[in-house]
Amino acid sequence: MPKVIRGYVRAIDRLNRIIGRIAMYLIFALVGVLIWSSVSKTFFTPTIWTLETAQFVMVAYYVLGGPYSIQLGSNVRMDLFYGNWSIRTKAWVDSFTVLFLMFYLGILFYGAVGSLAYALGYFGMEPFSFFWDLFTALITGGPDAAGEKLGFLERSPTAWRPWLWPVKVLLSVGVLLMLLQALAELFRDIAIIRGEDI
Amino acid sequence: MPYEMIALLMFSSMMLMLITGQRVFGAIGFVGAAAALLLWGTGGAEIPFSAAMKLMKWYPLLTLPMFIFMGYVLSESKIADDLYRMFHVWMGPVRGGLAIGTIGLMVLISAMNGLSVAGMAIGATIALPELLKRRYDKIMVTGVIQAGSSLGILVPPSVVLVLYAMIARQPVGQLWLAGVIPGLMMAAMFVIYIYVRCRLQPDLGPALPEEERNVSTAEKLRLLRAGILPLVIFAVMMVPFVNGWTSLVESSAIGAMAAFVAAVLKGRMTKEVFETSLRETLAISCMFMWIILAALGFGAVFDGLGAVKAIEDLFTQQWGLSPWMILVLMQLSFIVMGTFLDDTAMLVIVAPLYVPLVGEMGFDLIWYGVLYTITTQIAYMTPPFGYNLFLMRAMAPPEIGLRDIYISIIPFALVMVLALVLVMVFPGIALWLPDTVYGK
Amino acid sequence: QSTIKWRMQTYAGAALAEHVVKPAIDTFNKIAGDRMQIELYYADQLVPTGELFRAMQRGTIDAVQSDDDSMASPTEVTVFGGYFPFASRYSLDVPVLFNKYGLNEIWAEEYAKVGVKHISAGSWDPCHFATKDPINSLADLKGKRVFTFPTAGRFLSQFGVVPVTLPWEDIEVAVQTGELDGIAWSGITEDYTVGWADVTNYFLTNNISGAWIGHFFANMGRWEELPEDLKLLLATCMEQSHYYRQWWYWGGEAGLRVDGTKMRLTSIPDAEWDQVETAAHTFWDEIAAESPTKAKVVEIFKKYNADMQKAGRPYRYG
Ligand SMILES: NC(=[NH2+])NCCC[C@H](N)C(=O)O
Ligand code: NA
Ligand code: NA
Repeated sequence: MPKVIRGYVRAIDRLNRIIGRIAMYLIFALVGVLIWSSVSKTFFTPTIWTLETAQFVMVAYYVLGGPYSIQLGSNVRMDLFYGNWSIRTKAWVDSFTVLFLMFYLGILFYGAVGSLAYALGYFGMEPFSFFWDLFTALITGGPDAAGEKLGFLERSPTAWRPWLWPVKVLLSVGVLLMLLQALAELFRDIAIIRGEDI
Repeated sequence: MPYEMIALLMFSSMMLMLITGQRVFGAIGFVGAAAALLLWGTGGAEIPFSAAMKLMKWYPLLTLPMFIFMGYVLSESKIADDLYRMFHVWMGPVRGGLAIGTIGLMVLISAMNGLSVAGMAIGATIALPELLKRRYDKIMVTGVIQAGSSLGILVPPSVVLVLYAMIARQPVGQLWLAGVIPGLMMAAMFVIYIYVRCRLQPDLGPALPEEERNVSTAEKLRLLRAGILPLVIFAVMMVPFVNGWTSLVESSAIGAMAAFVAAVLKGRMTKEVFETSLRETLAISCMFMWIILAALGFGAVFDGLGAVKAIEDLFTQQWGLSPWMILVLMQLSFIVMGTFLDDTAMLVIVAPLYVPLVGEMGFDLIWYGVLYTITTQIAYMTPPFGYNLFLMRAMAPPEIGLRDIYISIIPFALVMVLALVLVMVFPGIALWLPDTVYGK
Repeated sequence: QSTIKWRMQTYAGAALAEHVVKPAIDTFNKIAGDRMQIELYYADQLVPTGELFRAMQRGTIDAVQSDDDSMASPTEVTVFGGYFPFASRYSLDVPVLFNKYGLNEIWAEEYAKVGVKHISAGSWDPCHFATKDPINSLADLKGKRVFTFPTAGRFLSQFGVVPVTLPWEDIEVAVQTGELDGIAWSGITEDYTVGWADVTNYFLTNNISGAWIGHFFANMGRWEELPEDLKLLLATCMEQSHYYRQWWYWGGEAGLRVDGTKMRLTSIPDAEWDQVETAAHTFWDEIAAESPTKAKVVEIFKKYNADMQKAGRPYRYG
């Protein structure tokens, strides 16, 4: 395989592994928030932020951990036939079907970016060009100019009213990482088909 | 396109995608996304993502990593070893006693975690080698462990019942209590089956040899203490919950904490145990979450395209079936789908269609949750697709072949079907406990 | 000419939608026949309620029934939808405010700015507490985890209430599993209709607002595509649904207080409850300070309530 591709696969594997291993510890954050929620309810006044915070942590946990879980091979497959195939056959079939997976992730990503743009106050139909504008404004005019481009910041419809853009950033980034990992898997399969090692 | 066609098309392409062996969430997610793009009209492409926001708001899901973590802490830290010793010594002298003891072990483990993975892991690593060494029949013990561990989802706490509760919008507390007696009943049925089989064919499960039985009474009593730990963990989690002092998600965190603290206090929380429990919890939680995410997207598209209404019509109007016939048909379709589909995906996709119908026909949705869970237990063991099968294949020693594994589940699956029928015919088996506790 | 198909999602779960929207949509479908059919979906069915607005703006869903607050619409008028504390006393106040005091115009304009057609505002029930434990004084509100509207929650938190927002269909179960101590989301008619009366024991007769404000909306593009007569028919059916609700709630509230057996009634003495009403007026001023549009709406509320006060009985007693 060309050197760039091998480099890509290694870099993505490393990146997602690191992120996933950090995400792994979020379980303690989750336990902490929920225990605090029951402690404060029993001994003081209940808090208004625990449930939503726990939900945000959970999103981070599974979205950022997703690519690492692909590396760990924990996403089950129905192996009625698959289980009996040789490694090469699996690689052949996977290299096609992973495209379907990527299609799904692509649609998710499209939705995530649109929803993030909305959370930043963009109501139009071209979220990607909105982000491009935001980016160029940031480069040429600094944070203030970028701030100008933002509109009505979406808040969660609860009394705590946290902004929603942080969790949507998480979702967008996480899905993108998933997509990059899926592409790495594709390259790995192609390498197997060609009898090479990555 | 007529609605029936859409339903058929989406379902069959999902099956086709699954057969290719691509990751289950990818297969389901793809079909949902493609259908949204092709058939929805404006804005269809947003639906798969809006499922992520729905997922976020589904707060009972927070219990998922908690119960999974509990299970891994229990199995990895080998807290269960002492429990196993207890059953070994107490039950050993009886014919088939070690297998019966393994069922007992599985019941206790089930009370401390929400899935069956922990039971599988403990069964396959601790019990299985010992049983084989004692010349128990390999087919028998393979079945015992698969079937016994599946009690993890029927005996509370249960992740499957939490998921069902979310979809059927039923109280988790009542569902969990509803699972207790059927779970114990099923365990008892396994025991009876093992006992009778070993009476008839003593070489399937020989009693422990004389020299191994020489354990002093004091020692025997000392071993009983091992049984306290599971009860404590169960109580720490369930008592505040059933009394309404803590909410479901809070209780699950307390349970996870309790298991963790127990492992630390017993000096079992080594670096490896810590690492493996954390990593595996992430891995399994991600598997679940991504499947649910994909299935929620699929479900919304399926519903928005009118396919759900079409299927309801089919059941109630066109075929003109009676409520009981519909119910039986639903269970059968769950069993058939369960042989080749992931149970969570099946639940998220199919239950929103079945559950309202069950409610309208006047059946109790708590009771139906128990029926669903038993079907899922069967699904876990039946080839070609079953989680306990996968795990058994991965963990079994080389002398146990695939054929053995497949054969081993037949009698146990039949016992489960029998249990299913019993609960169907006598709903009180499931409903008596929740009705009593919550004073309906 | 093929049938126009719309998807409409309501904030209400199936049990409630049975009254607040389904009859109107059924009527519309029957009259429109082959020309147009609206498929009705319930709370969180296709998209979660928090995403309703965006889904409609994008055209994923064609029409929506909701209050502004629950669906988090990105407009200046969002806080006033649902229950704006003490803005109204009777359900007839809402149509008067919209038709005679100028709220219709403000809403139409604010929603047009964000690509959405505001079709019609309707009025619902008053907002009361339904709880597991009795509330007899303001002190009893302290620490109660209550399902309520975002803005009402913000307001109530100064009395120690802990507002919680969950998917509508999960409320009944959340009360049972201890996630919630109660609900401040509706009057007693809904408590009985949707099953909340089965999981709570007490109903507080004091309310924090006399009537809910909710609306029908549509995606602007899809609305524009409709021929004039269908627009008219749709608006008429929606208007008609307001009438159904007027008697259903009004009669229901009184009837269940008198004959209901599932909930005990409790009250906070008027003198104490006045503190809440006073706090509401402070809250109004805080909101008015946020923007000119909000100030304008608050001004209208003030004017209307002053007029009603002057008019005396039967508009206002004391
Ligand atoms: N639906 C699923 N993805 N299930 C995975 C877990 C299966 C496993 N046998 C358990 O119950 O623990
Ligand atoms: Na369990
Ligand atoms: Na199966």
